[in-house]
Amino acid sequence: MTLSIEIDGMQAEVEPGTTVLEAVRSLGGYVPTLCFDERQEAFGACRVCMVGIEGARRPVAACTTACRDGMRIDTRDATARRIAAATVELVLSELPQPPPEHTELAAVARALDVDGGELRWPGEQHERAHDERHPYLALQHELCISCGRCVRACDEVQGAFALTATGRGLATNVTAGLDAGFRESTCVSCGACADTCPTDAITEISLLALTESESHAL
Amino acid sequence: MSRNLVELIRRHHEQGASTALEVLKDALEQHGEITDDDRRRAAEQSGLPEAAVYGVSTFYDDLLAPRGRRHVRVCTGTACFAATGDVHIQALSDGLGCKLGERSDDGELSLAETVCLGFCHSSPAIRDGDTIDAGPGVVGRALAGTTRAAAEPVPQSVFEQPLLLAPAHDWTALRRAVSTSDPQTLLEQIKAAAVRGRGGAGFPAGAKWEHARNAEGERKFIVANGDEGDPGSYIDKILMEEHPALLLEGMALAAYAVGADHGFVLTRSEYPRSKPELELAATTARAAGILGRTVFGSDFSFDVTILEGAGSYVVGEETALLACIQGLRGTVSARPPFPAQRGLHGMPTVVNNVETLCNIPVVARIGSAAYGELSPGSPTSGTKLVCFNERFRRPGIYEVRFGTTMRQLCIQLAGGLVDGHEIKALQIGGPLGGLLPGWKLDTPFDFEALAAEGCALGHGSIVAFDETTDMRALARHLLHFGATESCGKCFPCRIGLRRAHEMFSADSPVDRGKLEALLETLELGSLCAHGGAMPAPIRSLLAHFPKELGLQ
Repeated sequence: MTLSIEIDGMQAEVEPGTTVLEAVRSLGGYVPTLCFDERQEAFGACRVCMVGIEGARRPVAACTTACRDGMRIDTRDATARRIAAATVELVLSELPQPPPEHTELAAVARALDVDGGELRWPGEQHERAHDERHPYLALQHELCISCGRCVRACDEVQGAFALTATGRGLATNVTAGLDAGFRESTCVSCGACADTCPTDAITEISLLALTESESHAL
Repeated sequence: MSRNLVELIRRHHEQGASTALEVLKDALEQHGEITDDDRRRAAEQSGLPEAAVYGVSTFYDDLLAPRGRRHVRVCTGTACFAATGDVHIQALSDGLGCKLGERSDDGELSLAETVCLGFCHSSPAIRDGDTIDAGPGVVGRALAGTTRAAAEPVPQSVFEQPLLLAPAHDWTALRRAVSTSDPQTLLEQIKAAAVRGRGGAGFPAGAKWEHARNAEGERKFIVANGDEGDPGSYIDKILMEEHPALLLEGMALAAYAVGADHGFVLTRSEYPRSKPELELAATTARAAGILGRTVFGSDFSFDVTILEGAGSYVVGEETALLACIQGLRGTVSARPPFPAQRGLHGMPTVVNNVETLCNIPVVARIGSAAYGELSPGSPTSGTKLVCFNERFRRPGIYEVRFGTTMRQLCIQLAGGLVDGHEIKALQIGGPLGGLLPGWKLDTPFDFEALAAEGCALGHGSIVAFDETTDMRALARHLLHFGATESCGKCFPCRIGLRRAHEMFSADSPVDRGKLEALLETLELGSLCAHGGAMPAPIRSLLAHFPKELGLQ
């Protein structure tokens, strides 16, 4: 039996177990995300995929909310958009430099009209720290927003378990193995982490060189 | 929580292996710091990949501070703040010549922050090795090297026959249940008694049990949440240390009702006595045939494992608690799935607070009807333990009725404040609860009545701030705690609590509009109650003491 739902006024039928995010995207709708990657289990960390649900007291995260029969979803709910935009603004405030234009983070900030130049809550930023010991993979810790996508790619997609979240609170970050670089870990150089990273915190070296030459040209 | 990691650990767990966290804690006890060799050993023994072990070793407070031969921990909890305005911290650090989180070059001495030691009745508190000293002169004694164990409070009950705090424990309820009652009847009794969770959220225990009972799983588990992290609270501490058999009986009854065969208690490392007391009680019960393969000679089998945390407030959240028990980073997971569906080792798990579980034998003994009448006039059944901080004339733990006014509790029971001080505000139920101003003491102590005032019953701690309290400093104190303890998983909490702390730490006025927008982002955006409810006391300060906050 399928569930009848409504998304921004449009009727849809979905299978039980479908998340709100999957339903919206299957209809071609837009909900911004940062920690979501369709190849991985939903994580619920970034809180940017907030949507309004009729009758709910507060917006919900679309990625971890299952559709219910009769559910009416509003992807343009003003409160949900306000919370998502404020969260992206907080994310930009922890980076010492704006994310490269081609990244998912930059695209989400543009979609939510978040201007990185005028932050309401400036404060402590991540310290610059680069790990370029691996021939193909580079890690720029200051661009890490702790979305967990690289860790999950390594765990769920590749099964190499080479990456981990580190620290806690604002200092949460990511590293390989015992923090001695990718080469000293169980990394198999598959590049799944760089592929999923929404900020270029992890990049394939060739790509990093390319973007650096781009920024020098600017 | 990664399903793959959980699967890797489960196989080792079934063979009785230590968790990565246990191996790391042992290493720290043995040589004062954690080396990569320790991490490799932890990985090998626990089944966790090396990277994941590294992640664990950078998460918990206890694992982060290097230890000298003498390791001193200063309590930075809210009761200690109420007592000293935090001057004890600087005085100790200056006097010892050692900064917080550091170890002297010769390896002799180290000093770390800890929240909270549960001696809120005689703040400030300092832990010197495993000796916890507290009260007037404690800093001087720590500097002179003459710390001594502080006295524990003697709990009192307003009931002629104390319920939770009954002096003798006889296991009658469990014996009767396994020999004359069936699991479904016990479950129905707990549902009829309407036992609400005592850990903070107030969720009906019976409903949680029913979900777990109906869930599919080759095994089921009972978890007692003894991670009483609320600064200002020492209720579960007393239950675990003075009434451990009552807790074990409550767990066994829960297991009987839902079909579980094993239980776990997670105690706090800030309470060094809890784990040994519970282990002693479990050993005694095993020897008497009460725990083990044939509970009271029946075909019901139940045993327990006692584990100790390593310093993290958010581990009190149920999904983070389960992660910690499995030796993982204590971060929160999105629900669903709820633990009752997929919890410890992927199996249906009931997670109940220690005090909640201690209520179960009481219900089973006196019946749901009598239990429902213990707090006449209140919509909540049963009794509640409350505890008061050092600012009161008669601080300590009391068993009280729900619905009693805050005035009766604070003035009649606890005697008002010392030295003629006045109650400026109360924080009830921990850091995620709002502040009740001193002019609202007629508010009843109950879930709904306190919620109407922007407060929470929470776990039942009552911390008074007197008229000398600097409310901006209080906001800064609370937000320091919030930012430091954020598990770092969801973005609003991870960044937002730090930003809120920074706003109150700067010398400049706080922009009210920006603050309120930030609080809303935390409240509506956060994944769990830590980020979601840390704004509550700040909202109270904005509502009742705006002029003292330095706003613009």
